[in-house]
Formats: sequence, C-alpha cells, structure tokens
Amino acid sequence: MWLWFSKLGSPRWFYELSNKWLPWLYAAMIALMAIGLFWALLIVPEDYQQGQTIRIMYVHVPVASISLACFPLMAVAGTITLVWKMKLADMVAKSVAPIGAWFTGLALASGAIWGDQIWGTWWAWDARLTSLLIQFFLFIGVIALRSAIESQDAAAKACAILAIVGAINVPIIKYSVEWWNTLHQPASSISFDSVAPNPPEVWVPLLIMISAVYVFFVIALILRTRNEILQRERRSQWVIDLVSREKSV
Amino acid sequence: MKPHRRKKLGIIIFIAVGLSTAIGLSLYALSNNIDLFFTPTQVAAGEVTPGQRIRVGGMVKEGSVEHSQEILEVSFVTTDYNHDVLIKYAGILPDLFREGQGIVAEGAMSADGTFVASRVLAKHDENYMSVEVKAALDAAGNTPGMPQGVLQ
Repeated sequence: MWLWFSKLGSPRWFYELSNKWLPWLYAAMIALMAIGLFWALLIVPEDYQQGQTIRIMYVHVPVASISLACFPLMAVAGTITLVWKMKLADMVAKSVAPIGAWFTGLALASGAIWGDQIWGTWWAWDARLTSLLIQFFLFIGVIALRSAIESQDAAAKACAILAIVGAINVPIIKYSVEWWNTLHQPASSISFDSVAPNPPEVWVPLLIMISAVYVFFVIALILRTRNEILQRERRSQWVIDLVSREKSV
Repeated sequence: MKPHRRKKLGIIIFIAVGLSTAIGLSLYALSNNIDLFFTPTQVAAGEVTPGQRIRVGGMVKEGSVEHSQEILEVSFVTTDYNHDVLIKYAGILPDLFREGQGIVAEGAMSADGTFVASRVLAKHDENYMSVEVKAALDAAGNTPGMPQGVLQ
C-alpha cells in the first residue's frame, strides 16, 4: 500500500495515467450531462409549490455539494504536503482552490436567483448563506496567499495550514440548517415511494446531475493538475522528451 | 510511519481538534445571535423589547389572514403551535405566502403587542413533489412531513 502511495505521488506517473482516464471521463460527462439536463429541464414535473422554479435545484444542489467537497480535499492534500512532502499533493491543492472558488460562487449565485423567486429576497444573513460566503472568501484567501509568497515550498506550507483551518467551516455549513433557525430549508430526505414527498421522479434526475457535475469537477481538476505538473517539472527529462515528441508530430 | 512524520501529523491533528473545539464553543455561546429569527415562543417569553428591529418566524395560522379592502395592508397571525404573534404588514407578499406557510417577518414589536413588519419573506420546506403527487396525497388524506421541519 505504501508503495502504491508513493507511486501515486509521482507527478510523471499521474500525468501518464490521467492521460488514459481523460477520454473515459469526457464520455461519461457528456452522457450524464445530456441525460441529466434533458431530464431535469424538460421531463421533471412542476413542483406543487414552486412550479418551474424547482429546476434551479438541479443546478444549485450539484454545484453546492461540490463546493463543499473542495475544501476537505484541499485540507487532505495540505496534510499530505505537510507530513509526507508529496509533490503531487501540493499541485492538487493549488489546482483545486480556483475550482472550489468558482463552485462556491456558482452555488451562491444560483441560490440567490432561487431565493429571489421563492423567498422574496436574494440574500439573507442566515447561518447557511453566511457560512458559505465565508467559504468563498477563504478560497480567495488561499489563492491570494499562494500568489503572495514567492517561495514555492513556503507557499505550499502556508496554504496547507490555511486549508486545514478553513476546513472547520465545512461541517458548520453542512449542519447550519439544523443547528440554528435559518431561511434556508434543511436537507431533503429522499423517498422510494412514488406517492410521497421527494419521490424518485424528483431525486433520480438530481442524482444524475450531481454525478455529471462531479465528473466535470474531476476533469477540471485533472487538467489543472496536469498543467501544474508540466510547469513545475519543466526542467526534468521526461517533460523535455514529451515536448520534443509533441513538436515532431 | 517515520517518527518525525508521526510527530507532524500529531501536531496537525492536535491543532485541528483544538481549533474545532474553540470554534464549536464560541458558536454554541453565540447561538442566539446566529439564529435568523425569534420564534413566537421567544417573543411570548419577553425576549424582545418593543421597538428593537428583529425578525420573527413561524407558520401563518389557518384562517388568520385579513386583507384590507382599501389599501395594501394585511394582518395575519404567525404561530409555532405554542404561542402566536399578530403581524401587520403593508406591502407586497411573496408568491409562496399563504395560510400554513412558514414565513420570516422583519420589523419591530409595537407597544400594544402586535408586530409591525417592514418585510415578509417566505420560507419553503425541503419537500418537493409534483402537483399530481400532492393531489394524490391530499386525496388519501395525509400530507406526511408537511408542517414539521419548516420551522427549523
């Protein structure tokens, strides 16, 4: 297991392996996105309370769920960087920050549009919205911190610490709707009964949309990480060979 | 795992646990300030002083909504099924506003015990279903999970 762990930490090994994964991921994303969007936007019946506005959920919930996954991922990568000094871990940590910021921003924006329609306001200082806004600023902070420190190793350490500390906010976001009274509703529980609240006709397309956006996230993360690998390893022989091979084609 | 790595990991876990505890305790202490709104029970218990700008949240009591005939004024009772608060509001209500709906009103208590709202927001619950499913449930005479949870 430890051998596998150290192998995974090799940027070259990851670069070559991810090359094989990418076509499959593209295919999966296109298929899931096409089915999910068609189902969510055209087939899902109007909600008894919210009407057509319900379709915002099929964008809002996937982006929000991924924005919550980004910070723990960055914290885990940061811990690996601090403890094992694995090169690849810091490349992933650097790559995930802007993606996480975008997904958090999209979750806030789609939520605001939804809230404007249903609540009657696009913003409220309730615990869920405020804690997610804090996460957005934390992502911006991580990005700014990295670009402010010139030494790559020092930047990696500082960002790792900020990522670990900031990850404490994630359970607060997740459980804010249960710990305090908020304008945001609590998480829905799904039902397998077709005549019940949250029947399969509502959550199956949501599940497909969540998987589609997750695959998109993985693709974006792999592409950014590959870019980062090439930049940091540009003086190593395998990258020089790779570039000369690309040029000769 | 090598000793110096174990030590580093130990420090990281220690800091993370320590910080979580500190943040957890301060959030617990600040609970009342983090809550978005007061419940009618809290209002009845006298936690609110008249004139103070606050939010009150609860369900719109069935049969309590009275629209004024001349102006855009409405009065209704909001309840958490223990206590009630009478709310007066002049303005446009959100589409989702109706009897039995969870709402959050922003405004202040007046001296006579009514709440004068300057804004009313609709809370929606976590239950989604189509018009057909809702009709089928109503026909069967049960709407599971409807009022509870909305007040959260």
